[in-house]
Amino acid sequence: MTVFYENFERHAHGEGLKAHSTHYCPGCGHGLAHRYLGEAIEALGIQDRTVAISPVGCAVFMYYYFDVGNSQAAHGRAPAVALGHKLANPESIVISYQGDGDLASIGLAEIMHAAQMGLPLSVIFINNATYAMTGGQMAPTTLIGQKTATTPEGRTTFAGQPLKVAELMAQLDGPIYVERVALYDNKQRVKARKAIEKALRLQVEHKGFSFVEVLSECPVQLKLDPVEAQAWVKANMAPVFTLGVKKDTSADATPREWHRPSFDPELLMGQIGASPDHPERHAAGFPVHLDADDVSLKLAGAGGDGAQTVAALLTEAGIREGFDATHIPSYGPESRGGTSYADVHIAREEVLSPASPDPHVLLAFNALSLRKFGPSVRPGGVILYDSTVAEAPPAVAEGVRVLGVPFARLAHDLGAAVVKNVVALGALQAATGLFPPATLRTALARHLAKKPELLPLNEQAFAAGVEAVARLMAR
Amino acid sequence: MSPRARPDAPHPHLTSAYCKGCGRCVDACPKHCIEPGTAIDPLSGLVPVTLDLEACTACGLCYEACPEPFGLHPDDEQHAWELSDPKEHFGPRRESSAPVAVDRPSRLIPLPSDLAPLIIKGTYASAIGALLAGCRHFFGYPITPSTEGAELMAKVLPGLEGVFVQACSEVATINHMYGCGGAGLRTMTFTSSPGLSLMLEGVSYMIGAEVPGVIVNIMRGGPGLGNIGPAQSDIRLVCRGLGHGNTHAIVLAPANPQEMLDLTMLAFDLAFAYRNPVVVLGDGYLGQVTGKVALPDHLVEPGLPAWAVYGDREHRRNLISSIELGEADLEARNLELQAKYDRMTANEQRSDSFRCEDAEVLLLAANTPARMAKAAVQRLRAQGVKAGLFRPVTLWPFPMDALAALLPQARRLMVVEASLGQLEDELRLALSHAGVAHPPIEHVQHTGGVLPQPDEIVQAVLRQEGAR
Repeated sequence: MTVFYENFERHAHGEGLKAHSTHYCPGCGHGLAHRYLGEAIEALGIQDRTVAISPVGCAVFMYYYFDVGNSQAAHGRAPAVALGHKLANPESIVISYQGDGDLASIGLAEIMHAAQMGLPLSVIFINNATYAMTGGQMAPTTLIGQKTATTPEGRTTFAGQPLKVAELMAQLDGPIYVERVALYDNKQRVKARKAIEKALRLQVEHKGFSFVEVLSECPVQLKLDPVEAQAWVKANMAPVFTLGVKKDTSADATPREWHRPSFDPELLMGQIGASPDHPERHAAGFPVHLDADDVSLKLAGAGGDGAQTVAALLTEAGIREGFDATHIPSYGPESRGGTSYADVHIAREEVLSPASPDPHVLLAFNALSLRKFGPSVRPGGVILYDSTVAEAPPAVAEGVRVLGVPFARLAHDLGAAVVKNVVALGALQAATGLFPPATLRTALARHLAKKPELLPLNEQAFAAGVEAVARLMAR
Repeated sequence: MSPRARPDAPHPHLTSAYCKGCGRCVDACPKHCIEPGTAIDPLSGLVPVTLDLEACTACGLCYEACPEPFGLHPDDEQHAWELSDPKEHFGPRRESSAPVAVDRPSRLIPLPSDLAPLIIKGTYASAIGALLAGCRHFFGYPITPSTEGAELMAKVLPGLEGVFVQACSEVATINHMYGCGGAGLRTMTFTSSPGLSLMLEGVSYMIGAEVPGVIVNIMRGGPGLGNIGPAQSDIRLVCRGLGHGNTHAIVLAPANPQEMLDLTMLAFDLAFAYRNPVVVLGDGYLGQVTGKVALPDHLVEPGLPAWAVYGDREHRRNLISSIELGEADLEARNLELQAKYDRMTANEQRSDSFRCEDAEVLLLAANTPARMAKAAVQRLRAQGVKAGLFRPVTLWPFPMDALAALLPQARRLMVVEASLGQLEDELRLALSHAGVAHPPIEHVQHTGGVLPQPDEIVQAVLRQEGAR
């Protein structure tokens, strides 16, 4: 058969009989499952585009035999690896082949989630009720009462009950075809062969996720001869792991469409927001009245106050003016309503430490932030706080100007509480002269490019902040 | 297709040496043509079945029951005696009929030269670097403080007909990458410290099977759940402990958003040049900090390497695997990998230095602490101390060659780091291997999300200088 290598060169370097014999023990069910897979691959004409994922377990050396693309996965991860291959090349036909310990114990998460994604994959699950390769320990599918190396007195429910994986798969929405088959007699072998071929055909048709559980004999670990092992599977496994189609919605499945990834530069530029336009600059130079080289700011409030947005606008403004700037946020553990602090630096050449432990400017949205950071503002600095909710700070360094502006009330007066941070931005501009107003208005307009209807309100809020500070300064 | 459906179905044929005597065919034959054997086959040492085809109806059930690919099979024309070309008959053994693949090179596509710089956070810069490097397949599991990178990929990749998968765990993530990278594609993930711990088995598999991939690890405070503050807590893990076995990967340590983009792009090239994962190691601060990021002059449309298991005819004979059963085979394999690590060490050391030309006090720092150390150098210079900053950009391989050149004039080495000596250990190990003389090593260390600040670095240096 051409789907199998002419010589198994990977099997002990293909020396002697190993070039034409599998590593499986006499009577092992893996050989039959391999054979039916090989026949199906040949019948469907898919040898060139098949990728077979070898698991960990006795089938770990599946790649010795199949003349297809081969990938060997870590224990339990074959479906995850298979998904990687399928998504890399949707035209490939990817077979994930696993035993019961691999799939139903250590790899349960991977198989469940791969199944639920429902992508066209073919999973062959060999259930022989034992860990064969490691020497006959208990598998998740070991029967109650079955003796194994780790259940020497027979499995009890304390060791968990046999996991009926085909039924589990059939409960999921993802798979379109789930069947359990066996190998113990001629009739079952015919059904097994057909099921495996169907699982592959549905993938060739791009239809969906198929799962075939194969009850398989491990004569060595059952300590039976191969023919007795067939009888054992029929008598003991088949009543627990009932045979048959567990789910088949393949007739209703529509073929999945795939697209090739794009490397078009225009498309990529659009996606990442890169553009060749350089906005005009408004600043005459670096704000040396605040610092010769590096102005540090801290914006502090609660989540939802808008401190991070103000920080982002200042950073953007600084960079658009040709300086370096950084913004580093810090949040409390709560996703909303907790503390929300932002450290911003505007540097003439390069921001070094992006933290602001002793800022030139503090913008505080609440009393807590004012108390916490007010004393850290360096001599000669500026503190702006929301006088709607906070009193003046207890003690500040020498020469620090403290300005209380009712951000929240001014925003409320404009009819939109959410713009209090823009009021604060306006106040900050007027109080510090960090940038010309036009710089910040430009940043604001860019920020609202996708919601231009909000710009007039934000312009008003900015102006309200500027005016409030002007009134304070005029006093 | 049942063999019984074929009126011309042939009788079975058996090469005794390939029969393991399991007897499935004995049970399968309705005419009792096959008996369990009694004689040991001299080649296999097993007891093959015996065939007496007097009563055979050529139903085919026996060979449908045989688990061996070269066991019982239809005695059709393929196996009939016929004259064959001696060249073909006695030629070299053929493993696969598939062709031998060749590398398809990547293509560089120019970008406009007048693009405005982006103003983005570090994780975004890294994600955009990956996109520019031609990565269209992202797999990841959300974990703070790395998640924004994944979120950007989720937003952008569909528009590029790429693939974003939120995996069920970090374990699944790294195995998706193993599959996709094994298919020869550029793939990546964002994670943070505990997530990287979970990925390590898969990273070891990738290294063993020589599968490229880029892992961006935004370090947070540990051990255990720790916290989500910035730290350099995984330097030892990525330099010395990438899973089981003899493993190494190039570790790139950016210090700002610009380098998050640049080094992520570089990481893809290195990953494919060496067929090995590459770690981009950032700290929580670097992931979150927004800064100015200039775009490169090109993007990459990746080719396809010859070794890929892509799932087409050209790549059919390939195998991605880390198994070597024979002890001598595995030793040889490890020596090959080691030779590759040695090539990385010789060729991929990267570093940056600031005012090192005459530095007597040499600060050594990576990632965000290097920014603080640079500020400290400026302040120390202003106070007349000849200080300089040596910044390893590759933490593995450690840039010993560049550092060694600076040591003769240095009176003092001070390691500034956000971990309790993990970077210093790399330095000490590199110094020891290089066997070079070095001045006393001091340090400024923080952990748990606390970063060294410029003033305390300055104070630490001045204290040491004062004690001189």
